[in-house]
Amino acid sequence: MAQQEKVDVVIVGCGASGSLFASVLAKAGKKVVLLESGPDWQLSDLISSDFWGRRIKPAGVPFVFEGKNPYGYAYQAGWGVGGAALHYFANFPRYLPNDFKVKTEHNRGLDWPINYSDLAPYYDKVAQEIGISGDAQAEEIWRPKGQPYPMPPMKTFRNGQVWLKGLESVGIRMIPQPVGMNSVEFKGRAACIYDGWCHVGCPTGALANPVVTYLADARKAGAEVRALSTVTRVLTNEAGDKVTGVEYFDSKKERQVQEASVVVLAAWAAQNPRLMLNSASDKHAKGLANSSGLLGKYMMAHYASATWALFDEDVEPHMGTVGGQYMSYDRYDKTSKKGAFGSTYILAGSAFKTSDLSGFANARIDLFGQRLADFMQRAKRGITRLTAFGEEMPNIENRIELADGKDEYGMPLAKIVHSFDQDAVALWNANFEEGLTIAKAAGASEFWSARGNQPTIHLFGGTIMGTEAGNSITDSYGQTHEIGNLWIAGPGLFPTEGASNPTYTIFAVSQRGAEQLVSRWAAVAG
Amino acid sequence: MSEIERRALMKGATLNALAFSVGGTQMLLSPREAHAQNVAFHTLTAPQVETLEAIGEALVPGAQAAGISHFVDQQISGPPDQALLEARILNVRPPYANFYRAALGAIDRASRVKNNDRGLAQLSMSERNDFIDLMRQNKIEGWQRPPGPFVYLLLRSDAVDVVYGTVDGYAALGIPYRPHIAPSKRW
Repeated sequence: MAQQEKVDVVIVGCGASGSLFASVLAKAGKKVVLLESGPDWQLSDLISSDFWGRRIKPAGVPFVFEGKNPYGYAYQAGWGVGGAALHYFANFPRYLPNDFKVKTEHNRGLDWPINYSDLAPYYDKVAQEIGISGDAQAEEIWRPKGQPYPMPPMKTFRNGQVWLKGLESVGIRMIPQPVGMNSVEFKGRAACIYDGWCHVGCPTGALANPVVTYLADARKAGAEVRALSTVTRVLTNEAGDKVTGVEYFDSKKERQVQEASVVVLAAWAAQNPRLMLNSASDKHAKGLANSSGLLGKYMMAHYASATWALFDEDVEPHMGTVGGQYMSYDRYDKTSKKGAFGSTYILAGSAFKTSDLSGFANARIDLFGQRLADFMQRAKRGITRLTAFGEEMPNIENRIELADGKDEYGMPLAKIVHSFDQDAVALWNANFEEGLTIAKAAGASEFWSARGNQPTIHLFGGTIMGTEAGNSITDSYGQTHEIGNLWIAGPGLFPTEGASNPTYTIFAVSQRGAEQLVSRWAAVAG
Repeated sequence: MSEIERRALMKGATLNALAFSVGGTQMLLSPREAHAQNVAFHTLTAPQVETLEAIGEALVPGAQAAGISHFVDQQISGPPDQALLEARILNVRPPYANFYRAALGAIDRASRVKNNDRGLAQLSMSERNDFIDLMRQNKIEGWQRPPGPFVYLLLRSDAVDVVYGTVDGYAALGIPYRPHIAPSKRW
């Protein structure tokens, strides 16, 4: 075992939140080391191909999946610098004010310990920092006023435009999707050329993945990235009131210890609690910062009700961006669908390639042989999709816990148990019904629901924030209640998940947390 | 193979084609080329190849000539963290060869039970289609793990990858590929 020179901060994970923390801390003059279990990808590695693009996702994850709706983990996870945000779709909707007080307003779920107004300045700051294209004023029919986005909305294509008539017919207003992409050149990064390969990693710099934004800034400010370095434990002092660093295995699979004044866990919502559970000691018998017993609890996922449609015109399915061209919060009230509960976020217009899980060959997963070949011929010009994302409420039974079996480093695997409740199933079904109504009104020649197993999309919870140690793991900044120099970053902090894409909120929460850490450095690290 | 040669091949693999062993020499080929040249298989057995090609062709016409068996064989013969298989993103635990052995074995056994000891490759295309339709709906009695619908999903994905997911596949459909960074082989 080797002992590395002590640093100010060690950050576990090089994805969205870890990269942002590294950027803020390194710019503040802190000596920062990031430990990343995957490779140090370069933009030149990001080949425009569905199957080559799978290399930036993990091969064999240290989890087992249980419950009625097991997590579709690996498809959404990242492996290497940039994390999942290296292949994310860069949809940048905000959470709305009604996302933060669900318990107070509906006596359901949980409250965040902060309000929308606490995050609003950080949403604006992130937009200016990494670049968002969109129409902020148009969004203000649903949310409080904020700063304009630094770039105008992206171009739209027929695969999005064809939905507008149908959406209007049911009273759903659509506005340009805000995205973390460049509609025009921004800070020396190129404008998007709409080739629809966002999901395998954008090598042009037009999409704000961490490699070209926060991680690049962090490196410029002196942060060190150690790739292929897998953290297995967070280490504590004898009294158990401080963390002292982390144990990890380097690229040669040799055990190392990195001491640090502050540890930030930013390894995504499942790996953070796995690490904290595996770091149990005599002073923290149930895992770190877990006197409440809530570590690993309240795991959540989004789900989508997708409506596929074929139009008789050429909608250029392969063109545009993968995330979305238009969006709406008109079904975002928690009670907008009778007999269900939770928000719905609506997206229209996406680029579709042929293969992979989201490719249009899977739009009719029941077809094979000549019928599939015939379908591909029809779909190549006319296929498009409308997507309604749904929210599930936090449920303490949805959880992560250590499991039998070990990974290659001898660390226990973890089990993720997840089932959607009746409200989530009801909302999923209701959104399918409305999707078919919209497709019919839009004039599609064929349309159908993408039913199957209810999908799990995005990943939340496990280390939720709250007001005190009795009801949560961290405060609203990500500082654990019980160990002052152990911080958590990422969507694991979210007490509820909203229904819209989470990364913009991950960035905003992380920006707020990282600035707090800097401002209270002496008290936290001393 | 020396470390330098291996790295050179890895770099090639990163950029485009896959490394196949031909007569003891490593060559970069597309799966279609490997199929056409009858390159020897590394991990799959002859009966497994026969089953995979039979079901691949039934799932997606053209998959056999596009080299589905060579694609899968090459992918399950190397390190999992370099795999391009859809299995990778669907939580299949490496080594991926285990999944393919189990899946192809389950298909062969079920086909023989249902069809007077005939494997899938010995069935007519119509019989294969009937078999696959039952498999995808998990309606084959006595089917053993992995689950039939999951086998259907993954093998269908492999077949879609080699037929429709390549530069050539896009060209055949008449869709502009429009790469930012192109795979340099058109397979």
